[in-house]
Amino acid sequence: MTRDEIKDVLLEIIADIDEEADFARLDADAPLRDQLDLDSMDFLDIVMELRKRYKLHIPEEEYPQLATLTSCVNYLEPKLQHV
Amino acid sequence: MAAYQLVIIGGGLSGLAAGIRAARFGIKTLIVEQHSLPGGLNSFYVRQGHLLETGLHAMTNCAPANDKQAPLNRLFRQLRLPRREFPCHEQIGSEIRFGGRSLLFGNDPAILEASIDRVFPGRIDRFRRLRQEIAEYDPFAAGPWRSGRQFLADHLDDPDLADTLLLPLMIYGNAEEEDMDLGQLVIMFRAVFEEGFFRPAATMREFLGLLVQQFRDFGGEIRFRSPVESIVSDRDRVVGVLLAGGEMLGADAVVSTAGIPETMRLSGWPGEVDRYVGRMSFMETISLVSRARTATLTRDRTIIFYHHGDRLQYRRPSGYLDPTWGVICFPGNFLGLPPEDPVQIRTTNAASYPLWKALSAESYESVKRRWTEAAVSASEEIVGNYRSSIVYQDSFTPVTIERFTRKAEGAVYGSAVKIKDGVTPWPNLFLAGTDQGYLGIVGAMLSGITMVNRHILR
Repeated sequence: MTRDEIKDVLLEIIADIDEEADFARLDADAPLRDQLDLDSMDFLDIVMELRKRYKLHIPEEEYPQLATLTSCVNYLEPKLQHV
Repeated sequence: MAAYQLVIIGGGLSGLAAGIRAARFGIKTLIVEQHSLPGGLNSFYVRQGHLLETGLHAMTNCAPANDKQAPLNRLFRQLRLPRREFPCHEQIGSEIRFGGRSLLFGNDPAILEASIDRVFPGRIDRFRRLRQEIAEYDPFAAGPWRSGRQFLADHLDDPDLADTLLLPLMIYGNAEEEDMDLGQLVIMFRAVFEEGFFRPAATMREFLGLLVQQFRDFGGEIRFRSPVESIVSDRDRVVGVLLAGGEMLGADAVVSTAGIPETMRLSGWPGEVDRYVGRMSFMETISLVSRARTATLTRDRTIIFYHHGDRLQYRRPSGYLDPTWGVICFPGNFLGLPPEDPVQIRTTNAASYPLWKALSAESYESVKRRWTEAAVSASEEIVGNYRSSIVYQDSFTPVTIERFTRKAEGAVYGSAVKIKDGVTPWPNLFLAGTDQGYLGIVGAMLSGITMVNRHILR
């Protein structure tokens, strides 16, 4: 997957989790949770959805690498390169 | 490999919510429910063409759809249900009548503040500081039991006001007698006084139908009329559940929503069962009253909590039922609901399980009739007379509750001792629901969600 495709997948997952999510003013380099007012339970859903779709196991200690949209893409790019 | 990755015992609200979470992420999940209907404590039944709800008076934790952090909306996101397609009706207003005084409250906390200012002169600043403290308190942080009663006494410096506020908080969720853990008090205070009461536009039947459908849409399987005989283990792990009919269902993990005492019995979990048997149970009477004859009845209240006498007596009564305190609910009195006919009136009073359990089959019905009368009389003193206009009436006792929900001794709020992490002596058997420490319908569902998030999905 390309970086843009990964980004689209992430936004789609978030939109599925939160019908109220507003991406219009999303800053890709600022923490997702603060901007979208998500809590840890929602955040777990992003991780679980990635696991369900791509059989990707993200260990808990690596969750901090998923803080912003850009850091998510950086983290996922090598893991999803053959998808 | 076991037939199921997860078997959930109980198709009540915590079991259904747990099931939806697990199935949503592809876990092969089965819910087994002993009854022919879902819902557990919060179910429904139909008699003479009337749909009657059990348990539910109102849902707590009312919140507008755009408040993302509100427990109700977090719940909907977790279950992936569209919150905007779930219309809610807020309460008209509720009242606490305690020892000759009356406080009003609604879903706007300003109503309660104004009422306190009128009825308890000079206490409003203390009450505001209390609200502030409760807003900042983290009820989910691990910590020892703290007396909620003492907390209120210290902050309000007024035992009458403290007991008046405690009455609805205890009645709507406290498993302990006489006192309430501070964490539980904080959860209830927010649910009742800060967020408030509402009900779904449709009945419990439609709400439960929505949950079952969501579970099935995610691939989950549910079996009704399937009472569990035992939880089967092999050495140090649980391997499945045995149904009363003799069928063995293999499972990689089991979540039990049957409460601690029943789960102990089913699994052979060694320990002192009595320690976990709650003492608070209730008798409830539903009366349907012809609308044409309700002109004299209270119209502008959703729920009335009442208590005669000066000091709060939240405990199992020494008789069959204690009519000196309880709840009167008008399930039709929510904003925007069409006028119902007949009008429903529900009365709830503390009742003693051992006394009801000891009755013979012959005397049970006549004793039930006698105490139904007592409960109705007590409520008539408060809302006006309705006895002569009743078109249908039904009551359930602690024994009924135990039979349909398997909550030991009909203790609707379960054990006074909670196991908040849901952990049992087996590494793959977990508790969810009442005895895991969350309260109310929204709480029960968050409990199922949290336990699956923590123990099954990780």
